[in-house]
Amino acid sequence: MLSSLLRLGPALFARTEPSARAGHQRPWGPRLHRSAALLLAGAILSGCLSSEEPDLVVYVVMDQIHSEDIIRRFEEETGLNVDASYDVEANKTIGFVSRLRAEAQAPRCDVFWNNEPAHTMALAEEGLFEAYRSPNAEDIPAHFKDAEGRWTGFAARARCLIVNTDETPAERRPTGLMDLVDPAFAGTGSFARPLTGSTLTHMAVLYTQLGAEPARAFARKLVELNEADQLDLPSGNGPLMTQVGRGEIAWGWTDTDDFNVGLRKGYPVERVFADQGEGELGTLVFPNTVSIVKGGPHSDNARRFVDFMLSHQIEQMLAEGDSAQIPTRDSIPRPETVPSFEGVDVMQVDWVEVAAVLDEVHGELKEIFLQ
Amino acid sequence: MSRLLLLLALAALAATSLAPLGALALEARPGDLFQLFEERHLTLLRRTLVFGLSVAALAFALGFPFGFLVARTDLPGAGVLRVLGVAPLLIPTLLLAMVWVALVDWSGPVASVWVMGLGLFPLVSLYTARAAERIDGRMEQAARLAGGLPAVLRADLGLLLPPACAGAALAFTFAINDFAVTDYVSSVGRKFNVYADEVFNNARDFRFGSAPADGEAPSGSAAVLSGTPLVLLAGVALALALNLRRRGAMRTVGSRFEAPTPIPLGRWRWPAFAFAAAVVLVTAVLPIGRLLFEAGGGLEWKYETLQAAFGSAFERAREDLTRSLIFAFWAATGATAVGLVVGHAIERARHPRWARLGELAVLLPIAAPPTLFAVGCLLFWQRQATDHLLHSNYMPAFLYGGHLAPFAILIVTGAVAGLRVELEQSAQLSGAPAWQRLLRIAAPNLAGALAGAWLLVFCFALRELDLSLVIAEANRTAIVRVFNGVHFGRDEYVAALSLLLVFAILAPGLIWTLMTRRRLEVLP
Repeated sequence: MLSSLLRLGPALFARTEPSARAGHQRPWGPRLHRSAALLLAGAILSGCLSSEEPDLVVYVVMDQIHSEDIIRRFEEETGLNVDASYDVEANKTIGFVSRLRAEAQAPRCDVFWNNEPAHTMALAEEGLFEAYRSPNAEDIPAHFKDAEGRWTGFAARARCLIVNTDETPAERRPTGLMDLVDPAFAGTGSFARPLTGSTLTHMAVLYTQLGAEPARAFARKLVELNEADQLDLPSGNGPLMTQVGRGEIAWGWTDTDDFNVGLRKGYPVERVFADQGEGELGTLVFPNTVSIVKGGPHSDNARRFVDFMLSHQIEQMLAEGDSAQIPTRDSIPRPETVPSFEGVDVMQVDWVEVAAVLDEVHGELKEIFLQ
Repeated sequence: MSRLLLLLALAALAATSLAPLGALALEARPGDLFQLFEERHLTLLRRTLVFGLSVAALAFALGFPFGFLVARTDLPGAGVLRVLGVAPLLIPTLLLAMVWVALVDWSGPVASVWVMGLGLFPLVSLYTARAAERIDGRMEQAARLAGGLPAVLRADLGLLLPPACAGAALAFTFAINDFAVTDYVSSVGRKFNVYADEVFNNARDFRFGSAPADGEAPSGSAAVLSGTPLVLLAGVALALALNLRRRGAMRTVGSRFEAPTPIPLGRWRWPAFAFAAAVVLVTAVLPIGRLLFEAGGGLEWKYETLQAAFGSAFERAREDLTRSLIFAFWAATGATAVGLVVGHAIERARHPRWARLGELAVLLPIAAPPTLFAVGCLLFWQRQATDHLLHSNYMPAFLYGGHLAPFAILIVTGAVAGLRVELEQSAQLSGAPAWQRLLRIAAPNLAGALAGAWLLVFCFALRELDLSLVIAEANRTAIVRVFNGVHFGRDEYVAALSLLLVFAILAPGLIWTLMTRRRLEVLP
C-alpha cells in the first residue's frame, strides 16, 4: 500500500501530457466486477453496524474506558440492547447538554449519566428530566439527591493535588489552591488549562466561591506565571498526571480518578486533599448523577437502568476500577486507595449557580488562556 | 459529459461539501467582524502564520532532498526508504506528538513544528519524487553536455521546485488547522496557543436548536467569523498550490519522453544514504517502535503485556474500528464517484476560466478548519426534515466524504489532463452517449487515479479527528478513542489501539495489492 501511496500524492497537483496516456485502455468488465465486489464488501461491512432498534438510549459523560464495562454489564444482566453515546474529552459535558436541549421537543435519549452535577442541575431546572426515586437510592445521603427526584448522585470524584514525592520534599508539599500562585512554589506547580472538563468546572466553582473578580485575577495570574515559565498548563488532567508521575512536573491539580491511574502505574505520587484548614475552601467533590429524560422513548427501561446504576454493586465496581470513584455510601467496601469523605472538609457548592455561570466563565477563560 | 450525471454529482457535492459552508456564511453577521482585529486574535493569527510557515519549511527541508534522492539517484535501498517515507503521513499527528513528547524534552513551538513537520514532510517528498521521475532524460543529457552535473541539477531544480512548493503549501494548510498537537506538546512550559484552538473553543459555544432560558437564540456569528482568517490563509495556500500545479505542468513529458537515468552520487552516496535513513528512522521507525515499546509496558516491556494491551484494545475498540472502516469506506467511495464526474467535467470544460473558478470553489471545504466545517454540517442538517439523518450512521460518511471530496476531484482533474481527448472524441463520433464515454472510456483509463483518490480519502477519513470530535455520531470512531485515551493517560492501551488504527489505515492498500498485483498508476 505504501508503494501505492507513493504515487497518489503528486496526482493532486500534477498534470500530464495527453500522449502519455496513449494505449492504456483496458477492458472495463473485470474492473466493474472488482468495483462491484468492493462495494459489496462495503455493504456487508455496513451490515455489521448495529441497525437493531435499541431498548435504551444513554448519554454518558464519563470516561468511556471506565463506563463502557458497566453498560455491558447491564446489557448482560438484562438482555437489553443499549445504545450508549460517550462523551469526548475535548467536548466533555457541553456536547451532550447541547444535544439534550436540542432534542427537548422530541427526546431521543432515555438516561443522562453525567460525571459532574452542574449541567445536570441546570437541565433539571429547565424541566428536561422526570422525577424518579429509585428504591436503590434510599441509603444515598440526602445531599447527593435532588429533593424532587430529578437526579440522583452516586460514586464521586474529587479535585485533589497529585504530588511527585521524589521531586517534592515532604516539607515543601503544597496544601492549597493558592500555592499555585505562591512564589515559594514557583516553577513546580501545574493546572490543566481550564477550558474543558472538571478544570473548567473547578474554575466556575471558584467564580461562585471567591467572586468573579478574585477568580478572574487568579486565572490571569496562572497565565502570567505560565508565560514566565513558573507554572505549567497541561492539556488535560490525564497528561498532567503522567507528567507529574514522570517527574517532569513536581505537582499539580487533577481528579482522584486520574490520580489513581498514576498510582496504579507505580508512579511515586501522593494525593493531597487541599484547603482543609479552618475557613479554607475545602475539597471540591463531583458526584456522578443519573437522570431520566422526560418523554424519552423507553421510560420503563430507563428506570431499570437507573436502579442498576444506583445499586451497591455499581458503586463498588466504580470504586474498585481504575477510576477509583468514591462511594457515596460509607457501607460500601472499597480498596485502601479509595478515600472516604470522613474527615475530609468538602466544599459546599451551589451547583445551580455554577451551571448558570459556566458558559460565561468559559468565554472569559478562553480570552484569558488563549493568548 | 452526461448532464444528468453531472447534476447528480454536483448535487451531492453541494449537499455534503458546499452547503455546510453556505450555512456558516448565513450565520455570520458582518458587524461581528470587528472581533477579528482584537489584539488577542491578531497575536494568535501571527503565531499561527509563523507556525504554518515553519512547518512548511521543515517539511520542505526534509521532503525535497529526500524525494529527489529516493526517486532519482543511485541511493542504496532507495525503494525501501521511499516506501517507509510515506508512513508518517498515515500516522495521526497526535500519535506522533505523544511519541515525541515521551522521547525528547521539547515543548511549545519547537516541538509543535517538529511533530507537524515530520508528519507532513511526505507531502513534499511525494511531489518531489514523482516530479523528479518525470524529468525528460533527453533534457538532462543536453544539460550534462552543456555544463556537467551542476547544470543538470540546476535544470532539475527549476522543474522540481513548483511541485515541491505545492506539497509545502498543502503541509501549511494542514498545519494551521491543527490544534490538538500544539496543545498536547505544550503541556510543560509556556503554552503554545494557535488560532485553530480559538476556532475549536468557539465551536463548542454553539447551541444548536437549543432553547436558552433568556428566550433569544444565541448567535453563532462570532464563532463563524473567527474561522475566517484560517479559511483565507488556507485558501491562499491552496490557490498557490493550484497555480504551482499549472506552472509545473510536467512540461518535460512529451510523446518522445525518455525516462531519466539515475544520477550517480559518487562519494556522497553513503552520506546521502545516512540522511535518507535518518529521516525514515526519525519519522517512521521511531514512532512505530515507540508505540510497540509503550504497548509492551515501556521499560518493563513484556510480551504478555503487549498481548494483553492488544487484546484490550481490540476488545474495547472493535466496534469503533469497524465503524471507522465503514465510514471511511463509504466516504472514499462517494468522494471518488463525485471526483470522477466533477473532475472530468472541470478538465473537459469548454470554458477553462470557469473551470478554474470551479476548481477553486471545490477547494473551499479543505480550506475551512475542520471544526468549522463540522459546525456548518450541524447548522445545515439539524432541522426537522433531516434530523434523523444527522443522527444516523450515514452522517459521518457524508461528512468525511464531503470534506475530503476535493482531494478526489483534484486527483481526477490531474489524471484527466493526461488522458487523450481523442479517445473520447472517437467514441462520441461512434455515437456513444456521454455517460458511456465517461464510464467506459475515461474511467478505465483513470483506474489508477480513481484507486489513488479512493485510498487517499479512505486514509484521511480514518485519521480525521477534528470533524469527529464535533459530530456526535462520529464520536464513536477509533481516532476519537485514541484521542480520549491519550488524555486519560492509558499508555499501553493507547499505544496498542494506535497500532491497530495504523494497521487499519494500511489494510486497503494491502488488499489492493493482493487483488490487482500491481501498483497504482496515478501518473503514467
